[in-house]
Amino acid sequence: MIDREQVAVSDKKRSGRTAREASYVACALIAIAVFAYTFTDPFVVTLAGYTCAFALFALSINIILGGVGEVPLGQCLFFGVGAYGAAIGMGKLGLPFEVSVLIALVLSVVLAAIIGVITLRLTGAYFSIVSWGLTGVAMVAATNLEEITGGPLGLFGFPPIEIGPLQLSDPQTYFAVTATILLLAILFLVALRRSPFGAAMDSVRQNPHLARSVGVDVARVRLKAFMLSAPFAALAGALAVPYTQIVTPEVFSVANTVDGLLMVLLGGAQLVVGPVIGAAIFTLIPQAMNLDPNIRILVFSSIIILIMMFAPGGLHQLGVALRDRLGRKTDDDRSR
Amino acid sequence: MTIAVAEGPAVSARDIVKRYGGVTALNGVSLDVQEGEIFGIIGPNGAGKSTLFDILCGITVPTSGSIRIMGSEIAGMPPHHIARSGVARTFQRTAVFAESTVLENLLFGRHASFHHGVLGRIFGSKTFARDQQAFQTRVEEVLTLIGLDGERHRKAGVLAYGVQRRLAVGIALMSDPKIMFLDEPAAGMNGRETADFIALIRAIAPGRTILIVEHDMAVIRQLCGRALVVVDGRPVVVDEPHHVLSHPEVVTAYLGADDEE
Repeated sequence: MIDREQVAVSDKKRSGRTAREASYVACALIAIAVFAYTFTDPFVVTLAGYTCAFALFALSINIILGGVGEVPLGQCLFFGVGAYGAAIGMGKLGLPFEVSVLIALVLSVVLAAIIGVITLRLTGAYFSIVSWGLTGVAMVAATNLEEITGGPLGLFGFPPIEIGPLQLSDPQTYFAVTATILLLAILFLVALRRSPFGAAMDSVRQNPHLARSVGVDVARVRLKAFMLSAPFAALAGALAVPYTQIVTPEVFSVANTVDGLLMVLLGGAQLVVGPVIGAAIFTLIPQAMNLDPNIRILVFSSIIILIMMFAPGGLHQLGVALRDRLGRKTDDDRSR
Repeated sequence: MTIAVAEGPAVSARDIVKRYGGVTALNGVSLDVQEGEIFGIIGPNGAGKSTLFDILCGITVPTSGSIRIMGSEIAGMPPHHIARSGVARTFQRTAVFAESTVLENLLFGRHASFHHGVLGRIFGSKTFARDQQAFQTRVEEVLTLIGLDGERHRKAGVLAYGVQRRLAVGIALMSDPKIMFLDEPAAGMNGRETADFIALIRAIAPGRTILIVEHDMAVIRQLCGRALVVVDGRPVVVDEPHHVLSHPEVVTAYLGADDEE
């Protein structure tokens, strides 16, 4: 299939866009550096780092939700594989953090392939429920395999977590590392969305029957998307460990996935950075407002209901709608 | 995957039977559609014509019977393979990719016939550049054919119903299919839209074989050389439309039904 951008955008526009995007990336890098080295409150900086890690998880969910249109309630399975992978690798096997993470990523892809072949025949609520069910299996396994997982108490007391010379126990470094990885992930997903595979995913999400009739192998596209989403979730799980300092069977809780889903819905599923915006709002507002966790649930549930009612495409949709309205006005003027 | 060109009918079905549990939806339907023909399938509601249609283009697997397209048996072939071998179809309801622009819709339609790896695109291989060029040309041709030249950047979902149906045909046309299946293309159209649509089908018909399932007898009469009538899962008659419509059993089947909308 053709590169959709080649058709939709002329060369001139495209080079203009490349320059604009390069400047976005530069701005993001500067913002990361400035944030990491001007904020001195270790709690805020660590929380920001954790937010970046969790945003990766939201991105993973959105590969499925915004990509092929399924609600992946079981996505925390891969988050847990990443978290346990890092914890077991470091704590039990004495491997370096990065090696443990790499192994966990590979494992998550293999697991996604196996689970995907079985569950992706299902669509809609059936897929969601079965994938949720599998996380229950994982939680029971993690609770009972005490030798490996530490049982219900989980794994904790890790050696200092580092990637090469980078000490992740240092808040500034932790934030800089997670934010940079997040940025790379966003760049990758933007490229993915514009690729022929991105177009195939989009066609499958919008209309699988029609997609099939124009020659898209729907089952294969769905499986590929699922396998692609898994390592993002696993990476998020692993990068959350330096913040949480403990991994318990609770990582497989559906509440974890729901948090990620809320971020996606908040920010908007059809925008690559939507989940990141959602993650920022979702983590920072309760902190800033010093909300009680129970009240937080109440507040966010209400916000989600309002967003689903008035901007089902997420917060960014409001911006797009505004821009379209203004744009259409000028178009109309021109045609008159 | 390509289907070898062979002598004989473009689409041929033999003794198609389809049962859902104890219900027999189709009972021994056979048909031969010659290359270049516009062939209609008609029948009252629930007669099994949509089932027959889905079986002919490989979406539904028949209980028994064989279907050959361009001489090749399609039993067991996944739908996307059939699509990649020069067969295109439109759907009754979910006709377009509603959230995408007209241009992107056509782009999705090209999926079947465009295969270039990442390397070809990065290094701009010759075949890639040529296909790119061919694609651009094809887009312009199709946009002109379906009369959506000025709407290319509009979202498909906001287009009028009749226009969406034209776009659906445009998507199918992108791969330049030899055989097209149109599932109730004129359903829900007003008179003006139907007339435009008939003109569009006539324009794209040369060099293609077209099968149409349709309720609107006017469409069948104006477009089809021959039509098959299915009643209660049985084939009743295959003939020219005006003969078909005066066939006693067809008249009985349609009695009380409005065939002159």
